[in-house]
Amino acid sequence: MRKYILCLGLVFILVASMAMVPPSQAANFKGKTIKWIIPFNVGGGSDVWSRLYSPFLQKYLPGNPIVAIKNMPGGGSIIGGNYFHTRVKPNGLTVFGSSGSTSFPYLLENPKVKYDFAKYQIVFATPVGGVCYINPDLGVKSVKDLKGFKKTLAYASQGATSLDIIPLLAFDMLGLDVKAIFGYKGRGPGRVAFEQGEVNIDYQTTPAFIKNVRPLIEQGKAIPLMSWGALDENGNIVRDPVAPDIPSMPEAYEMLHGKKPSGPAFNAWKAFFLAGFGLQKAMWLPEKTPKDIVAAYREAAAKAIADPEFQKIVDKSLGGYTQLAGKDAVAAFNQVLGVPKQDRDWLVNWIETKYEIKVR
Amino acid sequence: MDVFFQSLSVVLQPGHLLMLVCGVVMGLSIGILPGLGGIVGMTILLPVIYGMEPHTAFALLIGMVAVIPTSDTFPSVMMGIPGSSASQATIMDGYPLAKKGEAARALGAAFTASLIGGLFGALVLTLIIPIARPIVLAFGSPELFMLALLGMSMVGVLSGTKPIKGILAAGIGVMIGALGDAPAVPEYRYTFGIDYLMDGIPLVVVGLGLFAFPEIVDLMIKGRSISDVATLGKGWLDGVKDTLKHWTIVLRCSFIGVIVGFLPGLGGSVVDWIAYGHIIQTSKDRENFGKGDIRGVIAPESANNAKEGGGLIPTFLFGIPGSGSMAVFLGGLLILGIQPGPAMITENIDLVYTAIWSLALANVFGAILSIALSKPITRLTVIPFSYLAPFMVLIITFACYQATRSWGDLVALLVMGILGWVMKQYGWPRPAALIGYVLAGNLETYLFISVQRYGFGWLARPGVLILAAIITGSLAMGVFYQARKVSKASAAESGKRA
Repeated sequence: MRKYILCLGLVFILVASMAMVPPSQAANFKGKTIKWIIPFNVGGGSDVWSRLYSPFLQKYLPGNPIVAIKNMPGGGSIIGGNYFHTRVKPNGLTVFGSSGSTSFPYLLENPKVKYDFAKYQIVFATPVGGVCYINPDLGVKSVKDLKGFKKTLAYASQGATSLDIIPLLAFDMLGLDVKAIFGYKGRGPGRVAFEQGEVNIDYQTTPAFIKNVRPLIEQGKAIPLMSWGALDENGNIVRDPVAPDIPSMPEAYEMLHGKKPSGPAFNAWKAFFLAGFGLQKAMWLPEKTPKDIVAAYREAAAKAIADPEFQKIVDKSLGGYTQLAGKDAVAAFNQVLGVPKQDRDWLVNWIETKYEIKVR
Repeated sequence: MDVFFQSLSVVLQPGHLLMLVCGVVMGLSIGILPGLGGIVGMTILLPVIYGMEPHTAFALLIGMVAVIPTSDTFPSVMMGIPGSSASQATIMDGYPLAKKGEAARALGAAFTASLIGGLFGALVLTLIIPIARPIVLAFGSPELFMLALLGMSMVGVLSGTKPIKGILAAGIGVMIGALGDAPAVPEYRYTFGIDYLMDGIPLVVVGLGLFAFPEIVDLMIKGRSISDVATLGKGWLDGVKDTLKHWTIVLRCSFIGVIVGFLPGLGGSVVDWIAYGHIIQTSKDRENFGKGDIRGVIAPESANNAKEGGGLIPTFLFGIPGSGSMAVFLGGLLILGIQPGPAMITENIDLVYTAIWSLALANVFGAILSIALSKPITRLTVIPFSYLAPFMVLIITFACYQATRSWGDLVALLVMGILGWVMKQYGWPRPAALIGYVLAGNLETYLFISVQRYGFGWLARPGVLILAAIITGSLAMGVFYQARKVSKASAAESGKRA
């Protein structure tokens, strides 16, 4: 009998203790330190981005944890990405910051890449835009004049598998004959090469365009052609809100070809444009992260973005684009993943034949 | 001009001065620790400047970066270990002076040269900034290739009487520099599937491996103090007098420093070697170089401080950093909400002048503090090295591990160290290897771009021709002096016989 009572008592305690645990525990990071892996060097664009965000995440994450940035550069961000994939526990204490240079090798199925964004949870993303411009000596006044344009142009490129896929494929789709000159170390040296006349067509991200190319346009040393565009709520590419006076790349295509862009080239271009610009930088939680932690992060990101102090930073240092938190970021990233594999294969094939290099 | 002096009054406000002094103290500490340089300093300070007012942040960052080439002279002169990549050439003559017991004199000369070089750099920066844009734009990829080649031509002078060994050593350096990702195609070279090698071997590892490691090994083998004599010999005032006597060297080398600093792509890592090579080339009596000639200390030290001023130009005007520390500084600008560009000399000219004044003042503070510190620090050279060695090994290992924070750094240090030691034993010129390593990337990239863009037409560009003439001239001069020395020597010999 005593045994029976004891058993009953044990069962009662068990049931009671189970009932005490709420079905979903609210995440709390009080007293914790969150490690934010940035796969680039200190002072780079992604590093600056994470440092602008981190104090606000610190403010809005439950329990106000310390958000520490851990730079893990190497292999064009592949080393940091692989570390995140293979070593990180899904406890919300380690997060990852990706950039376009991280997602491109992933989308191109570079054999060195082990990370898999399809399995991760996106927290928020920061878009950026790009504007393409040309040397006025070529007699081109606007993008319309490129119809039937036969001269060979020169573009300063970082490499055929870098973010330059966007301009290079866009030039190809518009029917321009552009010789890519490889070996430049970024858009800054590319712009200097344009000013020197070493190349005659170039693009810059919108913040650099506004500060460095607008003055050239005013002096008559550059003609803006098109922006790459921006993503609207319905998933269409529209004019860039930061450069609304300049037609977007799909508009330019329509002007030159008389029809809207479509087909594998455009599908691939759009996917890479989204990965490289629309979601240029994004924060990720690892696979199998509990739902409550994901929710806590997304909520903190939404609050951080809504903070008027942070909005000032967005305008001053992040190009003034609407930051994507939670659902918006997920929807946009699903568009990247939604591109059929054959379209991506088409792109790989295009790079390999056009530039005679091995991508995979 | 009003803005120029307004900025001075901004910099002289107590809050700014305090920040500047903080930066200077930090920069001096980083400089003294071998291997740690501007990149590490900037990396430490970057998170601190968040939310700071730009003028204040500039005082801190520039105060720090300006004085690293001042205090990094300490380990270079006293132990033959580069304090940072900017003071590698100082070892060549500074360290022999320390061995002779003249460390104080070498340091006095070095700090005075650093001070004048830094101030001259700030002055040139002020004068050049309105016309800097067209100058930078005049250097396209072909011209930058020729500049890298000019740097390579210094291998000749730096190898002294062993030209073949020098060229081969430079070749080894170029090969080390070619490890990792290729500049223009998505390929990795000689990585053997090792992730660490994907970005090549970092400069700090190569520098410390080639210069610090062999020195520590040899001092341990000898098992005594660095200085051969127990007394410290001449005081630092003699060094100051030396520098003032050779004021033309100081001005010439500071000018070289500014130019190398402000041309994007050349990078500041070889400026000390270029200045050192230049001074050997232009001196008639070069027998004492490498054995403790004070001019061999003055030349690199005036150039490396001047370089920092020059390095600000491409960073401010084009947003393209000329060196590793400037790359981090550029990130700092973005954190402060400043987009570099042509507007820097119109809208933000006050910030540029703040930077210049901070640079000048930091150099003054840095030199004064270094001279004050030199007396106690030079005593280290009379201590038996076995007491110092464990500490030095710890520091260089730590500094190397800072480079990428992976175990590969330590393995690479060991490999480079053994290579450096073997080269030292067999009299292979290590500076040649280092120059080859540093310039490998630039040589390849700019040649590749030039050929892609212009075919062979780039060879006929006026800038290329001018630089080619300078290179030929400098090589011819080297050969001429060498030949004269040899004929003099044989003449003396035949004179003896007669």
